[in-house]
Amino acid sequence: MREPIKYVFIWPAFLVVLIVALFPLFYSLIVSFQSMRLVPPVPPRFVGLGNYADLLGQERFRSVVGTTSLIVFCSVTVQYVLGFAIALALHGKVAAERLFRVTFLLPMLMAPIAVAMVARMLFHSTVGPINEFFTLVGLPNLPFLTKASWALGAIITVEVWQWTPFVILMMLAGLQTLPSEVYEAADLENATPWQQFWGITFPMLLPISVAVIFIRVIESFKILDTVFVLTGGGPGISTETLTLFAYQEGFKKFNLGYTSALSFLFLIVIILFGVVYLAVLRPTLEKRS
Amino acid sequence: MRGVMLATAAAAAFGLVAGPAAAQCDPDYRGVTLTAGSQTGPFIASAVQVAGASWAEKTCGRVEVVEFPFGELYPKYLTAMVAGEASFDVITFAPAWTPDFAPYLAEMPDYIRRTRVWQDIHPVYRDRLMVWNGKHLSQTIDGDLHTLSYRTDLFNDPAEQEAFEDRYGYALDVPQSWDQYYDVAEFFTRPDDGLWGTAEAFRRGGQQFWFFFTHAASYTNHPDNPGSMFFDPDTMDALINTQGWVKALEDYIRSVEYSPPGALNFSSGDIRTAFAGGQVAMNFDWGDTGVIAADPEQSQVSGNVGSSVVPGSSRIWNHKTDQWDEMDEVVKSPFMAFGGWQAAVPGSSRKIEAAWDFIEHLSNPENSGVAAITGGSGVNPYRFSHFTNVDRWLGIFSADEAEMYLAAQKGSLDAPNVAIDMRLPGYFSYTEVLEIELSKALSGDVSPKEALDAIAEEWNDLTDEFGRDAQLAAYRSSMGLPPL
Repeated sequence: MREPIKYVFIWPAFLVVLIVALFPLFYSLIVSFQSMRLVPPVPPRFVGLGNYADLLGQERFRSVVGTTSLIVFCSVTVQYVLGFAIALALHGKVAAERLFRVTFLLPMLMAPIAVAMVARMLFHSTVGPINEFFTLVGLPNLPFLTKASWALGAIITVEVWQWTPFVILMMLAGLQTLPSEVYEAADLENATPWQQFWGITFPMLLPISVAVIFIRVIESFKILDTVFVLTGGGPGISTETLTLFAYQEGFKKFNLGYTSALSFLFLIVIILFGVVYLAVLRPTLEKRS
Repeated sequence: MRGVMLATAAAAAFGLVAGPAAAQCDPDYRGVTLTAGSQTGPFIASAVQVAGASWAEKTCGRVEVVEFPFGELYPKYLTAMVAGEASFDVITFAPAWTPDFAPYLAEMPDYIRRTRVWQDIHPVYRDRLMVWNGKHLSQTIDGDLHTLSYRTDLFNDPAEQEAFEDRYGYALDVPQSWDQYYDVAEFFTRPDDGLWGTAEAFRRGGQQFWFFFTHAASYTNHPDNPGSMFFDPDTMDALINTQGWVKALEDYIRSVEYSPPGALNFSSGDIRTAFAGGQVAMNFDWGDTGVIAADPEQSQVSGNVGSSVVPGSSRIWNHKTDQWDEMDEVVKSPFMAFGGWQAAVPGSSRKIEAAWDFIEHLSNPENSGVAAITGGSGVNPYRFSHFTNVDRWLGIFSADEAEMYLAAQKGSLDAPNVAIDMRLPGYFSYTEVLEIELSKALSGDVSPKEALDAIAEEWNDLTDEFGRDAQLAAYRSSMGLPPL
């Protein structure tokens, strides 16, 4: 209060942030408590928590949450394990290391829609090269995109293919910051590579691992392009994800109140995950620091 | 005096320069640029572009075609129109969207309906699909319905004919009923030879439900109960779980058996490729299969493409008596699947007059006639002149193929029991649940009856949510029935 003039300078910036960042959020929150449809045009009316209750009671919503979680859990797990392994290999000064680095990063540079288009051709039931190869060697064709379990597998595979490079990039950067003296000391103690990994590398890279997994989980929850192109959410709704469900409700059916509620539930799911994830890992991270 | 002479000379000189230019612009739309929305080309977009170029030459105006993927068209148009933006002067869209777009469209000017070529448009389009609530709000620019395509080399092969007759006890011919369709499909399903009986679209989001509707039209479009295929036109109760629909879904699922492997992921594009690639003996589809399969550059079966009206049924479910009615003969109920692209002018456009002039130009007999025989334009015949000018089609088809193709198209439109596609406010809400349940039934997760019961329940809930009276009025209008 001694320098009130400072508020004069802070408030304009604060107002801009408020308007740009928070207004859409508040507006969306208000809409989520209304029944608002553009098609057919229905006058907005206040329904309180009705949209949220409808969603939570809807089998389809629970199904898409389950499907999205499954895709996220499986794909991020494989991405992390595979990405870490490849980063270790690249860090170990393999031959043609630079070529491998560039090659491994290529999938991440492609647009997800293009990756999904390529994958759709690869997994095509009749003209796809994978099934053509199976035919060539006398194996039966697999229903990659027409059976729920195979379709989920195809989506997870594409996610892993495209986003493992991100994990490689981050883990490799982390590996390059590790002090070499620790490993020299371990060598003197005759520690095996496996002991060095579990005793030094993994614990020292834990903070960056936590961040990488957190980023990938949040990004994976937003998966849309791959599913949209590869399976359209089918067969049935077996591969439908939260974002595709929101797209259908918002941009096909223009059910705006419902879609806003869905977006906030989506936000709550992500926040809950983040809180639980960080709460579980905090003791370990604090011990390390 | 000198000033007057100079002014006269200047006026004369201006007349020499500007006069011919003005005469070329008829009507004069110099400085007018129309923005026309279309799905991503070449289908439809190329036809709009070609017409745009010739309209520009004729009127000195300009047409800018903006293209979006099919899935993006509806939200793009609707959000622009609801917001009152003049983003589009002309929109090209599916007839099923008319109920949602109707409040935002400018009515067709009277002069278009007074032109000599107005009557050249087939009445199914002119008087039904172009009309909403008694007003002409759009212009058909493409004719769309399902017809049967079959390989004449197989159907006319004496060895095949003999083998078929030995097995089924009647002559191999173009199937007239769905029972015959499945006999033929079963007969030609020979995986070891890389040949299958038929191909239909089964993929969610891949035009799937229109193929199901074509089956259903034969069993549910009762000639005595007009407009009662989808809903009861008196109460708006969903009729999609009647026994007629169950039979149709059982048939549709049966088609998977006689389709190439992986057919559950087929969209309409895939079945065209399957037919043109010689993989299947027949299919039913929009007119595109016939055109693509006849093209030697795209097809392995060109010269052997037969066309016919889709099969029908001699049993039709009567929802009023709750029983099957046996007809004296097979009743053909060709289905106006999708119903053909429409062009309209949003009321928010600031160039409504020019926009309608362009639509009239785009759909006039000359331009639409050329588009209809241009491979890849996506335009199928919808004017009488498209059907009668057979010579024009000889650039694509052989004489026999052309005759069969046009007879199938026109025969379907002329069929007394032709079935009109569903058009309702909130169309996507209705079709979304339909697609989901169809996919579940196709993959065997639920029985046909369970799937259809779930759809009926959801449709009834949607009707109540959107307002039963309003939906009933809209449905009756879409089916050409008078208000209650």
